[in-house]
Amino acid sequence: SPGEWMLIELQGEIESRQNTGLAGSLMGDLHYTKEGVPVLIVGHHILYGKVVKLEKPFAVLVKRSGHQEEDGNAMETGEAKPSTNYQVTALIKKKIIFKTRPKPIITNVPKKV
Amino acid sequence: MRTLDEVLATLQIAKLNVDDLKPVIHCLSFGENVSSGDYCLMELDDTLCKHIEAGKSLVIRGDKDEHAVLCSEDKTYDLKIADTSNLLLFIPDCKTPDHFPEDLPCQNLIQSQISGFSSSYWELRRCRPKVKKLKKLLMDNTYEGPDGENEKNSTEQMYSTDDLLETIQASEQELLNQLQVIHACKIEGYWRILEFDYEMKIMGHITQLVDSESWSFSKVPLSVCLEELGPLEPKEMIEHCLNCYGKRYIEEEAGEIYFALNEDKLCRATAQMLLQNAVKFNLSEFQEVWQQSVAEGMTTRLDQLKGLALVDQSSRPETIFLLKVEDLPEDTQERFNCLFGMREKWTEEAVAPYIRDLCGEKQTIGALLTKYARTSLQNGVKVYNSRRPVAT
Repeated sequence: SPGEWMLIELQGEIESRQNTGLAGSLMGDLHYTKEGVPVLIVGHHILYGKVVKLEKPFAVLVKRSGHQEEDGNAMETGEAKPSTNYQVTALIKKKIIFKTRPKPIITNVPKKV
Repeated sequence: MRTLDEVLATLQIAKLNVDDLKPVIHCLSFGENVSSGDYCLMELDDTLCKHIEAGKSLVIRGDKDEHAVLCSEDKTYDLKIADTSNLLLFIPDCKTPDHFPEDLPCQNLIQSQISGFSSSYWELRRCRPKVKKLKKLLMDNTYEGPDGENEKNSTEQMYSTDDLLETIQASEQELLNQLQVIHACKIEGYWRILEFDYEMKIMGHITQLVDSESWSFSKVPLSVCLEELGPLEPKEMIEHCLNCYGKRYIEEEAGEIYFALNEDKLCRATAQMLLQNAVKFNLSEFQEVWQQSVAEGMTTRLDQLKGLALVDQSSRPETIFLLKVEDLPEDTQERFNCLFGMREKWTEEAVAPYIRDLCGEKQTIGALLTKYARTSLQNGVKVYNSRRPVAT
């Protein structure tokens, strides 16, 4: 049985600051208040969110090209060769959705970290 | 990798009090392959979710020129891309507070990688399996017996179950059901449809035997059929036809296999044989010939011909002609266009057999008609016509 992942839903788009692409770069810190409210600090913004159980769960599919003999959760296309396999990697049953407008973090004094 | 000091410093800048927060912090970063687009999201219903959790497989089927469908073992779903205006990040290692350990003495950092992101996902909607293609494929190489033309050096492609699953957009169970409906049989590992005349020839032998042996139609012994008719036709074919036109059962006492022949199916097949030879027939003449053509003891009725033939009640004299539902378009709108193109107004009774297979999981014929047709009264009778102009 595939594992369970988390989904985070944000409004808008994410851009990498230095145009170096997103791979490998930091995104932000996810906190929870004592009441369990998710708080995300991304760049210069604070976002407050909500944990929501999905009405319809998601399957995360990963595309694999070429011939593969997979057991269990393998999905194959009907095309002959070359074949494309989709494998169910994980299920997602809940998400954290951040809908409120981000609060900007204003820094007057650069602090050495 | 972020350190606890960096995280706490950020909290300070953000003017958030660390005491108001739980001590578990996820530091999110993008994984190395996050932009490669190899991941995608697919919405599931409860059934499919349990299916996946039970380790069962799903298959996506469709040629390049077809809309892809998803198949479980016994159901088929349309796949549609749904766009959201939001960004969806999927993260393997991310907990919600209900899964935090109790009473952590100090802050816990979890370095979580975002595996992928998307702003769209695939939506699934249960749909009818697209099986019309099946009969067409198998009709290219019909079976007429071991000495038939098609058996000598045939270069026509032949299809095993797996071959069919590669090209028909249906689940395996739905495919096997349809193969039974079209009277296909497996010969040497390949699915074949019998040439209709050949099939009728075999049924003719069987009904003649029933007559000469004075059996009841509902108690036809398999062993005697095979013995008496074996010299004429392959035994597998005799048994196959008995299965197509009858219900198999075992008699308690002697453990013998019998068939209860389906009178309606036999009368219907005889009608098809008669009707396929002309464009249309005078209805009363047809009914006479039809009754005479069926085996002794069987009674023909027009309602046996639903979905096979249509009576034109507006012509004088009334006529009847062959109209097979399986020859009509598979797509719902196209089917209605075709039917209304043939005849402007239909009663529900006349049109029902030609649209029944279009009904969705919980859809009624009435609901279907409400959606795709408009009603009016003709001579006090409710009739349906097209919602849009259709070329007749």
